[in-house]
Amino acid sequence: MKTKKVKSRKKQSRVVRPRDSRSIVHIVGDPANVEEYVRICSAHGYNVSYHCPGSLEPLSTIELSAARNESHVPANASFALELTNVDLDQKRRNLEMLDKVLPSTTAIVSSSITVTATEQASWIRHKVRLVGCSALPTLGDKPLIEIAPTVFSPGATVQVVQTFFRSIGKDIELVQDRIGMVFPRILCRVINEAAFALQEEIALPHDLDQAMVVAAGFPVGPIAWAERIGITQVYAVLKSLNRDLGEDRTRVAPLLTQMALSGTWWQQATAFHEERR
Amino acid sequence: MSPLRLFFKAHFSTFLLDTREEPLYRMVKHLGIVGAGAMGAGMAQIAALAGIDVALYDVNGTVLRQAIERIKTNLAREASIGNLSQESAAATLERIHPRTRLVELNSSEIVLEAAIEDLRMKKDLLRHVEADTKPTTILATTTSTLSITAVASATHHPEKVVGLHFLGPAQDVKLVEIVRGDHTSADTVQRCVEFSRQLGKPSVVVYDSPGFLVNRVIQPFFDEPLRIVGEKVADPEQVDRIARTIGGFAAGPFETMDNAGLDTTLDVREGLYNSFSGEPRFRPHPVLKLKVAAGATGRKSGRGFFEYPEKKG
Repeated sequence: MKTKKVKSRKKQSRVVRPRDSRSIVHIVGDPANVEEYVRICSAHGYNVSYHCPGSLEPLSTIELSAARNESHVPANASFALELTNVDLDQKRRNLEMLDKVLPSTTAIVSSSITVTATEQASWIRHKVRLVGCSALPTLGDKPLIEIAPTVFSPGATVQVVQTFFRSIGKDIELVQDRIGMVFPRILCRVINEAAFALQEEIALPHDLDQAMVVAAGFPVGPIAWAERIGITQVYAVLKSLNRDLGEDRTRVAPLLTQMALSGTWWQQATAFHEERR
Repeated sequence: MSPLRLFFKAHFSTFLLDTREEPLYRMVKHLGIVGAGAMGAGMAQIAALAGIDVALYDVNGTVLRQAIERIKTNLAREASIGNLSQESAAATLERIHPRTRLVELNSSEIVLEAAIEDLRMKKDLLRHVEADTKPTTILATTTSTLSITAVASATHHPEKVVGLHFLGPAQDVKLVEIVRGDHTSADTVQRCVEFSRQLGKPSVVVYDSPGFLVNRVIQPFFDEPLRIVGEKVADPEQVDRIARTIGGFAAGPFETMDNAGLDTTLDVREGLYNSFSGEPRFRPHPVLKLKVAAGATGRKSGRGFFEYPEKKG
């Protein structure tokens, strides 16, 4: 009797990989991240359902035939991506819902750049199924993704996650589970310093971008990059880093805070760069 | 007009220069350069290639001869690989005139000061150059670390003093930061914008602040990876791979630091930290200090964050 119980617990604690590319992948989170991953997963043959809680606008570039906007989590989904960075209360509700509805064998990969994957795993019942990833708008199309296992993640879960990302054309880089992970942390801190420089009126925004591209070899200037990512995403990463590290050196530039708090102001100003181009 | 543009127009009105292609001023015909070290010689070559007559000054005749030899070698190499005709190389060299007396720079429209990074020496030089040149001559310092406002304080006309910070190797300048001090006039800045254009180099106008623009904004690209490695989030190989593959950078931060020299990277960082009066954002990371203390100064020493066996002694 005792042996049987142990066996059944073992069975429950093991996630399984999606059976084939016709499997359903459910994606939930911030619209810009969801949009990128819906496009990528659909392009690789997955049946995709998605939901952006709190977002009233339809995702701009997703063809309706390619993916379904589902406010309910489909119980037969064989893989889930939770890609919220900004509203952490909503993120927790999303994860709790995924954990409740999906079979315990379904892996959940969750963006862990504003809250660690381990903390997220502590919010749900089936902790072993969750692995963190770095999901920041504009990085979805890259051929590499940072993955952060939690203290609960067994190797089997990581393998399933690796297989999934390979199936959508991405290699993985295993890093420790920390706020900001690697690239989002570096990039957002550069953007923060650029915002300090702008605030101190050291240079004009387009000069700053030009200088960083021409002299420092940046593929995109930090101001233009921030606009592409979305200022609220950058602000969320920086705020989380500051909260986590508790160091004065990580404080957010007041100009950046003002722009993030004023909503979509910075994003609306994309025309600033477009006009010049 | 977009809200962002309105915001910056209101806040940066002093930077809004005339960016028309047609110059407002006459092209520079005579340039004076003070200091014939690597930077001074490199600038002399670039300016002479752009058709400008250069008076290259150094108090030390040997340094001056070595500079001319170096320029001659560079031009010969350019000619041998077909980047320049033999005639152009010869004509370029003829435009560079070695000088050992400051007064011989008196016909220069712009004098570039390229001496060592010592505030007292630069102030002293500019004071003498100002006395020996025309009242309209622009006095430009190539400092990368000192305040333009502080250097200009030694002159009678600080409105004519400007910083020209050439980024990249002396022979292959990528960008010129035109640094305006507290008293630099818009007219001086505009003439320098046009001078950069004449040299064929892109320029940006920046305000006099520690590190100016690029050396400051790039700091987190080096410091945050050091902290990431220090906290064992990832190792240097991983960070570089991530920066290249996800970020699209040609080289990762650790490779870049190794190439630039970890001692140079630490010097810049310590300079910024001190100039900003101990601002925590610029505090040098212990890992960097440790590497330099151990003599692992990057590619030039054979080891830095990575090993370079070909450079080992």
